[in-house]
Amino acid sequence: MLWRRIFAVGIAGALLSSAVPQARAARGAFPQAAASGEAPRVVTDEVGRTVSVPAEVRRIVTLAPNLTEIVYALGLDDRLAGDTNYCDTPPAAKDKPHVGSPVSPSLEAIVALHPDLVLATTSINRRQTVDALARLGIAVYTSDPRTVRGIIVSIARMADLMGAAGRGAALVAQLQARLDALHTRLKDRPTVDVLFVVWEDPLVTIGQNTFIADALRWAGARSVIESKQNYPRVSFEEVVRLEPDYIVLTADHEGAEESEGASLRARPGWSQIRAVEQGHVAVVGSEMDRPSPGLIDAIEQLARELHPDVFGAKTASMSSAAMECACVR
Amino acid sequence: MRPLTPKRVFWICSALLGVLFVMVVISLRMGAYPISVRDIVMTLFNGALGRRDRIPSDFWLVVFGLRLPRIALGILVGAALATSGAGFQALLRNPLADPYVLGVASGAALGAMLSLMFAPQVPGAIQAAAFVGAAATTGVVYFLGRRGGQLDSATLLLAGIISASFLSAAIMFLGTTLSGRDQRGMAFWIMGDLSSPPSLNLHWLFLVLIVAVGSIYTTSSDLNLILTGEQEARHLGVNVSRVKLVVYIAASLLTGLAVSVAGAIGYVGLIVPHVIRMIFGTDYRLLIPASAIGGAIAIVFADTLARTVVAPTELPVGAMTALAGAPVFIYLMRRNVR
Repeated sequence: MLWRRIFAVGIAGALLSSAVPQARAARGAFPQAAASGEAPRVVTDEVGRTVSVPAEVRRIVTLAPNLTEIVYALGLDDRLAGDTNYCDTPPAAKDKPHVGSPVSPSLEAIVALHPDLVLATTSINRRQTVDALARLGIAVYTSDPRTVRGIIVSIARMADLMGAAGRGAALVAQLQARLDALHTRLKDRPTVDVLFVVWEDPLVTIGQNTFIADALRWAGARSVIESKQNYPRVSFEEVVRLEPDYIVLTADHEGAEESEGASLRARPGWSQIRAVEQGHVAVVGSEMDRPSPGLIDAIEQLARELHPDVFGAKTASMSSAAMECACVR
Repeated sequence: MRPLTPKRVFWICSALLGVLFVMVVISLRMGAYPISVRDIVMTLFNGALGRRDRIPSDFWLVVFGLRLPRIALGILVGAALATSGAGFQALLRNPLADPYVLGVASGAALGAMLSLMFAPQVPGAIQAAAFVGAAATTGVVYFLGRRGGQLDSATLLLAGIISASFLSAAIMFLGTTLSGRDQRGMAFWIMGDLSSPPSLNLHWLFLVLIVAVGSIYTTSSDLNLILTGEQEARHLGVNVSRVKLVVYIAASLLTGLAVSVAGAIGYVGLIVPHVIRMIFGTDYRLLIPASAIGGAIAIVFADTLARTVVAPTELPVGAMTALAGAPVFIYLMRRNVR
């Protein structure tokens, strides 16, 4: 009796629910952004998705600060239709229409900007955001920064997609030349063991597969922490045991403007670390944790801090001044 | 209170459906993309007649591509959570029972997460795994919540809280094995999020919803008797263990369904049935359908706020429900103690 009633309700439900999915059937049938005569280009992005991009990209939306920087570095800011609330470099990026935070942007706000191309990155965006945009028929190219060279290749690919292959090649050649020059100067130097501090309390550092770990290598350094996790939490004991030669902080940390880690020494725990006792604290620009052209500036700056004898002693004594420059820029 | 007649159930449910309809219209109107009510009506009208060529493509994208699917998902999740909450409250004879408080939602989340890790491509696997997780957790909490062969209110809640924190720890541990961007997605999903519709077709999920809500509804007269005492119900000819089994399976299914598409959205299953009880009385023949509609109203409302309060950034809808739900929970608990 009970089960028969359940069955009857189920049948009624089936009939009702068949009316619901009408709107759903439309999914996947959205038209591509208005075709501009030429056939769209089909490329594979850095996470293996197939992306169909209009031949002429006029409106770009970026979903992360580093991507906004890349668009500006390529001189394509007139085509930047929108960016995120966090995009502050260069300052002009703050005046662009915003689509929300990189982690949870408003899909509607993105749709409203009619982008020909949306740029995303695995380093801060969610896969769900990219999937949802793709379902709406919007072209999304996802970059996946893992190494410094990878970032440079990625810049070239994005420049090409945005129809600025020439400017991209010039920018990439300049960045690569600077890296090569650095490599020539540092190749016979001993590697400096460093602890890269992402966050002081709790202590969070970088794993071996991040682009920051690779950037350290270009600056003649090596992270003492070997972890497969991207941003592992580590204990002070581990740091004391591994005895890094230098502590590396980025300039956006609290107290970073005070030179030589005086503020770090005042923090409990940190004073036990040998590098802090010796004043071996290097502060680099916050570009260090952004996979953008500015990263090369930060690498050069860190190399000067860690290898003062190669670059002339005067830069070492001016380290805090150099840091100020990085901040201003 | 007036006696409950089928007519009264019908009118109350119709009134609630009217409120839901108004809520849907408001939700359709609000959002980062500005559309007037007139344009929405025009888009819906032409869309319903299949005249897509008369709709500007932006309106089509925003109304049919983004807002309607999201509202439909909200209705699905809200109805599922509120009905399963009402079901658990009857099953465990505890007014504070709720899929979230009891840890059942965390169990479903763990199941869903395991299926995402090991069988990400199998359609329906998330839903099935979430159901298994929810059902297993309900069983464990039910077992742990007994003291001297009797279900004890405080012990049951403690068992639920302990299970929830244990399961959350397990989820966090599994989360460390994911890549950075999947971790972010997972963190958002665990807080309860409607911004990314599932890849599965919604009408299958609505079918499951209607079957499960319907099965609980068919037991509502028996539930009324059971609430006066299991012994008495048995004497009146109610097959208590079978009724409990039906409610147990259906409520777990509903929790698994909601969690698998939208993560763990807390407190809706607790608050909505209580508000319905306060307004319309405790009769389950009204409580079950009214809770389903009320839950849909609550989630559509909460998600509209989540989309708009810090626009263009979006909040997880679970943050909105917890913000409103936690104080109400404390109020109900204190009132209950007195």
